[in-house]
Amino acid sequence: MLLARVEGNVVATRKHPSFEGRRLVICQPISNGGDAEGAPQVAIDAHGAGLHQRVIISSDGSAARLAVGDQKSPVRWMIIGIVDEKQPGEPV
Amino acid sequence: MRLGAVIGRVTLSKTVSGLAGARWLIVSPFTREHYQRGKETPLGLSKDPSVVVYDDLGGGLGQTIGFIEGREAASPFDPPVPIDAINAALVDEIYYQPFSK
Repeated sequence: MLLARVEGNVVATRKHPSFEGRRLVICQPISNGGDAEGAPQVAIDAHGAGLHQRVIISSDGSAARLAVGDQKSPVRWMIIGIVDEKQPGEPV
Repeated sequence: MRLGAVIGRVTLSKTVSGLAGARWLIVSPFTREHYQRGKETPLGLSKDPSVVVYDDLGGGLGQTIGFIEGREAASPFDPPVPIDAINAALVDEIYYQPFSK
């Protein structure tokens, strides 16, 4: 699981059928200090994370397949929660 | 899923059974800098190594696609196949707003 910041979203008409109706958000992994680390990942979002909110993304494919309800889906990254505050550090 | 630009195609004359007739794309993955350019193909190649991606959506040269890496790439196949990257979306639009403190 990675701490990440939501930095946008992606629109795709032609996609794997299991992504139909799912929000695809661009999540930039960040360090403890909030600096960007590595390349952004596109994750599915069931929680309605807003722009520049901090989230936790998980790469657990089997849980993501369960979330989209398709055991043959290639989905992997999923937003599993929105960060309120983190210790140590200031609230969001 | 990562995004990347299609920079080429691969064809195979002999393949593992189950992958005969498959389409393969060479994809240059986007780094953070590439996102600012939207769906345009970035100038120059990414610093990250390019990957070969299984494609059943029909991605073309110069297009931006979303591809999934890892074990999950093989989950749409019933007899398991040895692939670890699959094209999952042809990207139409990217809305990107980098965060600044």
